[in-house]
Order: sequence, then C-alpha cells, then structure tokens
Amino acid sequence: MDRPNFFEFFMSRLSDVISQTVTHLQITGLAVFLAVLIGVPIGIYITRNKVVARNVLGVANILQTLPSLALFGLMIPLMGIGFNLAVFVLFLYALLPIIKNTYTGIVGVDDSMIESGRGMGMTNAQLLRMVQIPLALPVIMAGIRIATVINIGTATIAALIGAGGLGSFIFRGISMGNNNLILTGAIPAAILALVVDWILGLIEYRITPKGVRK
Amino acid sequence: MIEFKKLSKSYDGKTNVVDRLDMTINDGELVVLIGESGCGKTTTMKMINRLIEPTGGEILIDGKNIMEMNPIQLRRNIGYVIQKVGLMPHMSVGDNIELVAYLKNWDKQKRRARSRELLKLVNLDPDQYIDRYPNELSGGQQQRVGVARALAVNPDIILMDEPFSAVDPMTRETLQEELIKLQSEVKKTIVFVTHDMDEALKLGDKIAVMQGGKIIQYDSPEKILKEPVNDFVEYFVGKDRLWKSPEMLYARDIMQKRPAVVLEHRTPAYALEVMRKRDTDFLVVVDAPYDQPQKMLGVVTPKELKGKGMVENNRMIDIMRKDYPTVTERTSMVNVLNIMKQEGLNYIPVIEEGSNLLTGLITHGSIVNIITDALVDSEVGKEAL
Repeated sequence: MDRPNFFEFFMSRLSDVISQTVTHLQITGLAVFLAVLIGVPIGIYITRNKVVARNVLGVANILQTLPSLALFGLMIPLMGIGFNLAVFVLFLYALLPIIKNTYTGIVGVDDSMIESGRGMGMTNAQLLRMVQIPLALPVIMAGIRIATVINIGTATIAALIGAGGLGSFIFRGISMGNNNLILTGAIPAAILALVVDWILGLIEYRITPKGVRK
Repeated sequence: MIEFKKLSKSYDGKTNVVDRLDMTINDGELVVLIGESGCGKTTTMKMINRLIEPTGGEILIDGKNIMEMNPIQLRRNIGYVIQKVGLMPHMSVGDNIELVAYLKNWDKQKRRARSRELLKLVNLDPDQYIDRYPNELSGGQQQRVGVARALAVNPDIILMDEPFSAVDPMTRETLQEELIKLQSEVKKTIVFVTHDMDEALKLGDKIAVMQGGKIIQYDSPEKILKEPVNDFVEYFVGKDRLWKSPEMLYARDIMQKRPAVVLEHRTPAYALEVMRKRDTDFLVVVDAPYDQPQKMLGVVTPKELKGKGMVENNRMIDIMRKDYPTVTERTSMVNVLNIMKQEGLNYIPVIEEGSNLLTGLITHGSIVNIITDALVDSEVGKEAL
C-alpha cells in the first residue's frame, strides 16, 4: 500500500484543519473570556475580605485539581454533550489562575502606594482604577496567559465529548491507528499553544506600565 | 491653626495609643512630633487627615471639627509626604505631582504649569525630569518629587511622616536644608514626624516630645535643649546635644551673672581694691549698686588706671573707656566668640537688648567653665551607661 507522506496528507485536510482550529480557538477563547469577565471582579472583590478570599481560592483550587476527563464526565448528565459543556468546563479551569493572579496582583501592590493614594484623597474606586489595577495588570495578564495556554491543551480532550476542535483528529487517528491523522491534530495544537502564548506575552509586555518594566 | 482637644486613639478599647492630647499648632509653624517608636506620634499625625479615626476628643482645623468634613475633600487639601515616598511607579514624575490637582479636576495646562513650577522649587530641572519615571530617580530626587507633590494644590497644611529617614545621611542633610529654605518661602503649617532629635532641632519651630501617647514637652528647640521638663526629655535630647548645636547657645547662657563692677564716682585706688578682691583685671563701670538695675557706662582695666588713673581725685567716670564693645543676651555664642576673637578681647559685657542695663559678663573663664561642665556631664553620662 502506498502510504501518502504527512505533508501531502496534511494539505489534503487543510480546510478541515482550519475549521477545527477555529472551533478550538472558539472554545478556548470563549471559556477564557467568560473566566476573565467573572474571575477578575471576583479576584478584586476578595481582596477586601481575607476569609472570603481563602474560601473562594479554596474552591477554585479544588476545581483545578479535578481531572478534566472526570469533570467532563460529571457534567454530561447536567449539560449533555457538545460545545457548551466544553466551554463551561474550560471556563471552570480558567477561573483559578485568573482569580488567583488578580488577587495576588492587587494584594501585592506596595502599601506605600495605597497609603499615599489614600492620603492624597483618592476614593476607593479611584485607588482601584488609578493605582491598584494598573500596577496589578501584568500579574493579572500573566494569569490570563496561563489559563489560555492550559485551556488550549485541555480543549483537545473536549473532542471526546463531541465539541470538535483539533482533538478530534487526534482521537480519530488513535482509533484508526493513523499516525498522519494524529499528527494533523497534534502539531497544529502544539503550534497554536506556542503562538497564543507568544502573542499574550507581547500583550503582557505592552500593558505593563512603562515605569515598572524591567 | 490645628487644635487637638483631648484627642485619643485606642485600638483595643483599653489602652490609649494616643492619650487625651491637647495641643495647638499655629499657622505657618513647623511642628515636629518626636518620640520613640510606639509613642503615638505617627498615629497622632495620621488623625489629622483621618487616615486614622480618633476614638476620643476632637481635632479642629481653623475652628472646624474635621469629623464633620468629608475625609476625601479633607485629604485633598492637606499635603502628605511619607517615608517610603509612595510615588506611583506607573506614572511619570509630572503625573505624580499633578495627581491631587487631577483629583480636584484642574485642567491639564494649569496642572502642567504648576508641576513645572514645583519641580523648580525643589531644585529639579522640569525639562529634564517631568517625563521621567520614579524608578529612574535617586532616593533623594524621589523624595523631592514627593515634597513637590504635597505642595501641588498649595495646601495650607502639610503632613510629613519621617520623610527623610530612608535616604543616606548626606542627602538627608541636603533635603533638610532645602526644606528649611522652602518653608521660609512657602510658610506652610507643617506637622513633621521623626525619631531623629538632630533633625527635630534643625527643622522645628516647635518640638513636641511624646511618650506613651502623651506630650511630655511642647516647646521651642532651644527650651527643649536647655530646660528639659524631666529626665526622659533630657535623656532623649542627649546631654551633650547642646554642644552639637552651638547656634542654640546665647550670650546669656554662657555669661557670668554677677560681674565685678565699680560705681562711676569711685577712685582708682578703690577700683584696684575691687580688682584684687575679685581677682580680675576688668571692671564694668555702672551707675548703681548691685541691688538696683545697673546701667553700664564704660569699663576700666589696669591700663586706664595706670596712666592718669592714679591721680587722687580722678573718678571712674573720667578715666573709663567708653567705646568698649558689648553684646546682648540674645547674641549667639558663635557671634560672641567671633567678636572676641576679632577684637582681641578677653572680656565682653552683656547688656539687655534695647537698653544699657548690664546683665552679665563673658570671660574666657566663663566659656571654659561651660565647656568643662558639659564634658564632665557627658563623661559621667558615659560611665552611667
């Protein structure tokens, strides 16, 4: 049997690869977007109360610890299979790094900044907007970056619950014993993770205020 | 004017960190709060801009109770400089200085003009520094910006919390000098917290020495040095401190209080007798005896007596030297020593300011005595430790 080489195989599936990459990005992007929308305010809110902070971070930690496949399995009876479930589970995974980094970033702002800000007559909202968030932004962004990169990896597993994405090539390839098919999913997934990480790294640098860049 | 009335602060409801403080700080005065750590000095200061809320008593600014004011507005009208400077690292020097003006909605041009003006005032070139970031400046430069920021909206009151304690000694001295100069121009009411007595003596118009939440003594630096109210203040000031601040010593502190005098109508022979008895060769000629105010008329020394002096019916009034230099009680010791050196004098009479009334005499001997006392004191002090 004449086995086609990988490159030819890949090019013949190119349009499929592109559409699955888009799905992959949609799942990850939507999950991270929702996690930012909810995680950042939670992270900021819990800086005001240590007890609440401990509990919230504890719950997020537990979510993070659960194996992804188990979490998918637990959620199927509640949400059925498909795209929505994938987004929801990835959202839960993204929450911890985002909440944790937001919290750490805000709490890590030097006390003297807070004192001088308050001493100059800033309201709590001004302090948050003009001092705490700008100074915590690099740390928050690092959390978003970690969450995104982890999610790109975990999203490949989402193919198992019928959400699509680059994982579907990999699982199909495994069941058919077709290495080319596996690689058609695996290589773009790896490159995707690296490229997204690089882009987010650039953004992280750009939003780091000039006066605090190393 | 800032008034504390029975001002107290307690965190646990039992012990008062600040304990029923009464104090008045006048406009344009630089008042230093000093004491060991935990004495309540910083807490007291922070109650003025309500970063800490009092638990008892009240603070009045120009007669108005600050608890009835909006704390945000109150703070915007009080300059604040802290030890760690607290410049916002993500904002340029200009933006940092303009922060309060921004919060008060000044327009951009007015803000910029003001921050340029202030940078000049604190000896930083606006063109060079206005767009820099705090991490590009040295510690001393940062604190200059910190001071400029406190002055931004021209507040009447400025609070300074150990502003110079984190910089090296050389820079600290420069910053202190600059603050003195600055204060002579802007005349703000400044409350300055420190634990450094040298700094307090140098900067303060008045010093409040605090211990256990109470003010032990609230006086001018001179009074604190010379008349400490108790052992704590004396210990805190340090016995030998006076000698490190000779500009705090005045003629009246080093003079001999009952100098040898001779009445104007006495004869040369009598004068010689007084010199012999008092073991001196310098007499002040006065118009009245010891128990009355004595106006100084002139001085006699053996030189005046020797010439025409021994003629029997000459009187002191005729032979005395009339143009002899004098100093007043408030002449500083440094000036006294300078005059004595320049004029080559061994004695200099001290008179009351605005009149010719004799109050004392400074001799080489009296200066040596004072120094000896101080040295003995500090030796004893060392042994006691």
